[in-house]
Order: sequence, then C-alpha cells, then structure tokens
Amino acid sequence: MNLHRWQTRFFALLFSRFPGLTARWLKRQRLHDYGPPPWTRLPKPLPACTIALVTTAGVHLRDDEPFDMVDKEGDPTYRVIPQKTPRNHLCITHDYYDHRDADKDVNIVLPLDRLQELANDEVIGTVAPFHYSFMGHIDGRHVARLLTETAPEVARRLKQERVEAGEG
Amino acid sequence: MSLSIQRELTEKTRPPRALFLRWPYGHPLGEPFKAAQQRWVLCEALQALVSMQTPGTILDLPYRWRKPGPWEGGEELRVKS
Repeated sequence: MNLHRWQTRFFALLFSRFPGLTARWLKRQRLHDYGPPPWTRLPKPLPACTIALVTTAGVHLRDDEPFDMVDKEGDPTYRVIPQKTPRNHLCITHDYYDHRDADKDVNIVLPLDRLQELANDEVIGTVAPFHYSFMGHIDGRHVARLLTETAPEVARRLKQERVEAGEG
Repeated sequence: MSLSIQRELTEKTRPPRALFLRWPYGHPLGEPFKAAQQRWVLCEALQALVSMQTPGTILDLPYRWRKPGPWEGGEELRVKS
C-alpha cells in the first residue's frame, strides 16, 4: 500500500473520531452548485412500491474491480449489487471512512436484509433486483463525469427496473 | 430519500429529502447486528419518503449514538403509507 493510502486511512480514522473536523474542512471547500433540489412525488402507496438502495459506502462484489484508491480525486464509477448476492460475497473498498463495523455487517451502510424483511412484512411492495454502489470520495475532474455520465446511467437503470424510490 | 451523517455536506448538496443522524461515519443505519435499530432507521426513512412535502427538507432524528432508543424494547415503527 502506498503512502497516499496510509495517509488517507489515517485521516479517515481522525475524521471519524472527531466529526467536527469535517464540518470545519467543508466550510473551506468550494463545492459544485447543484441548484434547487429535484422533486418527484411518490406515485403509489409504499406497499405497492419497488424500492432500491443506492450507497456511497464503496460496497462491491468480491469479483468486481475495486474502486480506485490511488487517484487522489477518487472514482466516479459505480458497481451493481444484485439483491440475491450472498452477503459474504460483498466487500468494501473505501479508504475515506472507517468501515470496520460495516465489514462485519453490511446492513449498517446497505440494509439489504432489513429491506427484504420490510417487503416480507408488506411495508413496501418489492425489493428491486439490483442496488447501486458508489465510492463517496469524488472530487476534481471526476465530479463532471459523475454528473453527466455515471449518476444519470444509474438513474436510467433504476427507471428501467421500474423502481419507484431509492434509499441511500 | 437520503440518509445523512454529515449535515453540512447534505445542506450543500441539497438532496430532495434527507434524514440526519448525528452518528459516526460508516454507521448511517446504526450498529452492526442490531437489526431492530437498523429496521427502525429504515422505517423512519420510508415514513419521511411518504410525509415530506417540501423539496430540500432535512429532518434531524433525535437518536444518540449508543444510547437506548425506542427499538430496544421490541417496539416497531409503524410506517403510515
């Protein structure tokens, strides 16, 4: 592992321990202006809805290419998580937060099992067949690719899969 | 419906609907293997998905990290659709 990754993991532990540091860091950042929040009303009652999960926790299948941890500006790509994936086939590549607890139980960042239970109990209609995962450190030149390419692609896929709402 | 554990960032990115929990990074649904806690938070998100009417709303949830919550006694949050 290179020095950059060690430094990133050190700061991730520090920022996890002292969240106020992130707030101070954010005040100094010039973030993209996303404009007014988009809005779509939920079209059906929840028990008739198909729900998908979208996470920025860096979850992916063990066989997938891991997210890029070398590029300091991050990685704007996404991975597909089938709902039926055995949980021990999932792993996390994300140096920018402390994910030791999520490694033990992925449900704290991607609540696959809890969502299935809510479908079984008819609180929601069905669980979408696929969920989508990003790695939440996306900066610099990668922001444009996220906004124009990968995020719209995920939105299109969710629409094709007739998902009414995403939780993430 | 967005689950946030970094309110300042959520204020800047402005998702349509968000819940904020003052919990550590990497724990938006709570602690590992605490299924009742995770389910409660997910139900809060679904309830907000139904009830929020104003774009950009961020709802602050009152639960404190590693403190007892309403899920402890086996109570379930009933989501009103």
